[in-house]
Amino acid sequence: MPESGIISVHGVTKEFNSATDRSVTALTDIDLTIAEGEFVSLLGPSGCGKSTLLRILADLTPPTAGTVQVNGKTPAAARRDRDYGMVFQQAGLFEWRSVRRNVELPLQVAGVAKEERRNKASAMLDLVRLEDFASHFPWQLSGGMQQRVAIARALSADPKILFMDEPLGALDEMNREHLQAELLRIWSDTRTTVVFVTHSISEAVFLSSRIVVMSARPGRIAANIDVDLPYPRTAATRTTPEFFEKVTQVRTVLHGMLAAGETS
Amino acid sequence: MTVRADAGRPPSAQAGRAAAVIRRGAPVVVAAAVILGGWELVVRLFDVPSFILPPPSEIASALSAQFGTILSASRVTVQAVLLGLVLGAVGGVLVALVVSRFHKVSAPILGVAVIVNCAPIVALAPIFNNWFGVTNVLSKAGVAAVMVFFPVLVNTARGLLQVSPLHLEIMESLAANPRQVSLMLRLPGALPFLFNALKLGSTLAVIGVIVTEYFGGPSNALGVYIAYQAALPRFAEAWAGIFIASLLGLAMFGLMTLLERLFMPWHASLHGDEK
Repeated sequence: MPESGIISVHGVTKEFNSATDRSVTALTDIDLTIAEGEFVSLLGPSGCGKSTLLRILADLTPPTAGTVQVNGKTPAAARRDRDYGMVFQQAGLFEWRSVRRNVELPLQVAGVAKEERRNKASAMLDLVRLEDFASHFPWQLSGGMQQRVAIARALSADPKILFMDEPLGALDEMNREHLQAELLRIWSDTRTTVVFVTHSISEAVFLSSRIVVMSARPGRIAANIDVDLPYPRTAATRTTPEFFEKVTQVRTVLHGMLAAGETS
Repeated sequence: MTVRADAGRPPSAQAGRAAAVIRRGAPVVVAAAVILGGWELVVRLFDVPSFILPPPSEIASALSAQFGTILSASRVTVQAVLLGLVLGAVGGVLVALVVSRFHKVSAPILGVAVIVNCAPIVALAPIFNNWFGVTNVLSKAGVAAVMVFFPVLVNTARGLLQVSPLHLEIMESLAANPRQVSLMLRLPGALPFLFNALKLGSTLAVIGVIVTEYFGGPSNALGVYIAYQAALPRFAEAWAGIFIASLLGLAMFGLMTLLERLFMPWHASLHGDEK
């Protein structure tokens, strides 16, 4: 792990309602460096602040203390320069826009000319294999297809970084595994740096080059686990002993952490 | 149901649609026949005097005899309705846009609008006749405009303010400026609210214009015709006018529904169309 990555976080703390007596500490003293091209999962139980950390990186919420750099800038500057794309748990497509026009949204906001927008959106729809659905409206798509549109939208302006906040959390198991494989293919096609929030151990192991395990109350980083399973990973990867070994290792860390949390 | 949606369908689907229309239309036709037949029967059987209720057959013959007069009267009334509808809708949308921009004032202003919306605005009819003169189209359109204005304002403002937090966050992550948020998110999101208000407002506008015409208007207006025939008294003719006035309300509602479909093709989901 290099010292100065595309994302670096130093001493970040986040308190909600910090001015009142009902203050809640969501994150304490987070240090994290992510190198360009990594696929990093933030993994932990609910309430560990993993989504909050991602939202701080994306400048959707400010940290209470600490410094954050995204692509060598403050998160606010990175957001203004559209250095990242973001995918949320819900696809959040604009229901009055066709699939194509949804994918064009970031380009339209950035003031890209119409022709270029169209071409770019077509390329993105090819990437997520939805080229036949360009003129459909969101309500005509399944949940998994909607989420693929959301991924295409997040990537349409060629961001260097992709933030994903439990993007597959609302999908059923079959769809989920299918989209995980799709996501890895997209990642290897685009070489985007991905920061991926999840509470699924197997999902984190299958996708990530590194897993950042977080503990709850207050949220802190409990472990950094490199996942050295070779890419490209396929459905067959899930059945290998190495995969099980990794899942077990991550599970042991998580459970040890939870047990420690209960006794303290 | 629209021509646009049918254009690409295979003939078998169109035949299926025709069957569906018949299936849905038949009960309406049967119900109408039963009601009209019953009405005719009751009036004749109990010899109901025509100032209470003329039989449908009499109304129909009055309608056919007076059709030219009623049609030209309707034209005058429709002009006032459309003018009032446009004035009220444009005014309502503009004020909603301004109000939704300033969150601090929006709640009290909308609160007042909701209260005014409950008032019987049609009671303003004689006042408007006084202001603009009975024969001026503005006295009729004015009442209609006020009746349309408040539901459009309240609904559109609600639509502009009720934006999904997720959508807002997506626009924020894209570093969209406030203007882009308004144009690409708030306005399209408010369209369903606006059209609901317009459907309501279109029938209100017909009521507003007809009632204002009852208090006097150009001699060839539908409301004036109805009031005049009822005073003569020629009740079958008055009822024929009322029948056409009802059709006007329906037609305005249908026009708004058509516009809604043109402007919001994505909204087919809410009309129960299949994928």
